[in-house]
Amino acid sequence: MKTLSLKNLAKTYFDPYAGSHVNAVHDVSIDVEQGEFVSVVGPSGCGKTTILNMIAGFIPYTGGEILLDGKPVRGPGPERGVVFQSFALFPWKTVLDNVGFGPKMRGVPKAERDRIAREYLALAGLSHAAHRYPNELSGGMQQRVGVVRALANNPDVLLMDEPFASVDAQTRMTLQEELTRIWQERKPTVLFITHDVAEAVFLANRVVVLSKGRVLDQIEIDLPRPRVWDDLVKDDRFKQLSARVLQMVRAA
Amino acid sequence: MNVLLQFWSGYARMTRRWPALAAIVPFIPVVALWSAVAAAGIFPRAFFPGPVDVVNSFFTLIYKGILPDYLGDSLIRLFTGAAVGMALGIPLGVLIGTSRWAHRVCWPILLFFQAIGDIAWLPILLIWFGFGLTTMTFVIVYTVLFPVVLNAVLGVESVPRDLARAARSLGASPARVLWEVTLPGALPNIITGLRNGLGYGWRALIAVEMIVGTSGIGFMMFDARRAGSTVEILLGMIILGLLWYIVDAWILAPLERATGQRWGLVTS
Amino acid sequence: MEVTRSLKRRSPWLTRSVSSLAGAAMFVAPLLALVAIWAIVVPLFDINPRVFPSVGAVGAAAMDSIRDGTLLAHVGASLLRVGLGTLIGIITAVPLGIAMGVSPTVAAFLTPLFRFFSVLAGIAWIPIATLWFGYGFGAIVFVIFNAVFFVVAYNTLLGVKTIPHTLRNAASSLGAGRWALLTEVLLPGALPNIVTGVRTGLGFAWRGLIAAEMIATNVGLGYMLFVARDFYRTEVIVFGMIVIGVLWLLIDRLLLVPLERATIERWGMVRRA
Repeated sequence: MKTLSLKNLAKTYFDPYAGSHVNAVHDVSIDVEQGEFVSVVGPSGCGKTTILNMIAGFIPYTGGEILLDGKPVRGPGPERGVVFQSFALFPWKTVLDNVGFGPKMRGVPKAERDRIAREYLALAGLSHAAHRYPNELSGGMQQRVGVVRALANNPDVLLMDEPFASVDAQTRMTLQEELTRIWQERKPTVLFITHDVAEAVFLANRVVVLSKGRVLDQIEIDLPRPRVWDDLVKDDRFKQLSARVLQMVRAA
Repeated sequence: MNVLLQFWSGYARMTRRWPALAAIVPFIPVVALWSAVAAAGIFPRAFFPGPVDVVNSFFTLIYKGILPDYLGDSLIRLFTGAAVGMALGIPLGVLIGTSRWAHRVCWPILLFFQAIGDIAWLPILLIWFGFGLTTMTFVIVYTVLFPVVLNAVLGVESVPRDLARAARSLGASPARVLWEVTLPGALPNIITGLRNGLGYGWRALIAVEMIVGTSGIGFMMFDARRAGSTVEILLGMIILGLLWYIVDAWILAPLERATGQRWGLVTS
Repeated sequence: MEVTRSLKRRSPWLTRSVSSLAGAAMFVAPLLALVAIWAIVVPLFDINPRVFPSVGAVGAAAMDSIRDGTLLAHVGASLLRVGLGTLIGIITAVPLGIAMGVSPTVAAFLTPLFRFFSVLAGIAWIPIATLWFGYGFGAIVFVIFNAVFFVVAYNTLLGVKTIPHTLRNAASSLGAGRWALLTEVLLPGALPNIVTGVRTGLGFAWRGLIAAEMIATNVGLGYMLFVARDFYRTEVIVFGMIVIGVLWLLIDRLLLVPLERATIERWGMVRRA
């Protein structure tokens, strides 16, 4: 079992403006089972992006442990795929080469990694855009590329940092539906960071509510799949769960 | 008025079909004015020759083989200098852009040596290397080096942090990140630097050829100055302008656009 | 980006001046280190003073030239030429650039022309300038003038061209007349480009100055260097280079860069290297 577990994770840093040490994250413990989709939701400044950056290995943690499959993680690595809010596509590479980047780093030959990239592009309905440059795509399409680029590298866990925050509302809904569909097909382990309560509930098996660097509560989302917005907006259970999470976030 | 408008619309349509026209036609009135002033005899002819004289001297000098030789010399000097300047400047710029320590140590020194300027080196270079190719190349390299380094640093620093993070979490080693992310990310800036550097280098070359030269366009102009031959000075200026115009407008600027705009990195 | 920068908390005056002092120290330290290396290396390898001078010799040359007033004469002559040429250049170029830029058709027509001339600007004019004006003050000021003139005019033209048409329409519909349009929209709108043009033009002008002074005069920094070469006085040459570097740093960092920052960054416009 490839389990991602955060044990008493903490992050303290020195704030030169305040002139003192600040606890961005303290004592956070979360377990993500293999094939589980966990959303972390909380108001801005609650430390959720810091947590993701620590798991991804972009910044060091100052307390506790991050274990993947029982082994502590240090620094960034291909077993933890990341989807960025800023998309972070390589502007000088075509869509195909962006998606093939992970395999390329593993030393997969050109023909084989193109095949892999095409397979994943097809998964997101992007086959026609293979030879375009990221700059020539809409925001929604760029983030589809961002998602399949991370998936094409076959990571043990997929870390998503508010990936849909910078696309327009309609596109966001479409992307969310596509993500649930892809998750159902491939069952990747996902940790999804967002400040959007409806998004968190819609996507996840479990929602972790974060406040001021601590876990406030964890809520199982037992909504049936496949999930589509047309159904869920009318669904009482969805409304009920969203309302509960929203209350906690607002009180946080 | 109506005729003018029609003329203008014809011109607009022509330039859309052949964009090169837009770069040529504006010079027609200038040349016309120039020949009119020259023909009017306001200034003595030896002092202010007309376009025809310049064209004549162009063909004479080509026929004598002087102009092709000189032009070749100038271009070889410029491109040697540019190549060496790039070969030194890009690694240095990337180093300074990626390492905080290198930045702290090198940045002030760079700014200071850039401020001294290429041409101010000439006297001491003449003492060190004498009148020759080494001196000229040194000056060109010096001129090209700084804009390339400064822009490379700027370019490296302007690469979004998320891109390097994305590459790392897709399994790239730090060395691969340098090759796959940092360098291409800094490339548009490096090209801008090269463009600026060559702009300065071109001028420096002319100055150096005037002061130390035994050949080259700058030498030709200054030699003409000594002989009081205004025609050849003007010819030299026109050749300089045309050449640089061609290099800049048809090679460097499109290169800059091709990298910057298609990638969406440069907005202006 | 702009927003976060401006939201960043401003440190109070005292800490700011302390930190800028520390910044200045950080800036000077590597240069001092360089001087230290120079002071060690020259005596250590017993370098011929005709190849490279010792720190002491340069210091002595500096003191001499300050005491007998030659430095002041050279620097004064150079700065006067640059100042005058630049001033004339800006005064003539900006109105011309704006006038040309007002009509998009005229601007499109004239752009290649000015591009051509801004490419030639400066040093390439030395031979003809000396022919027209004779060796001396006039020729050098003319070289400086045209280095600044064409680059500034071209950049002003570009600046006016890039002002969004909606801004002009907005001003007109708010009741701005022709004059107000000029002073309230066109001039400020083109200002960042004008400043960039002045910075680039002055860069060319400064080099042009040194080159022209080596060729065409008997006073000025360039002349000081070039004459020293005839007598292998490397200490005078190196001192002159340092003066040139420091002067340009002062002009650029204390005058041009803050000016550029004040207009470009403050207004959130695009910045290029």
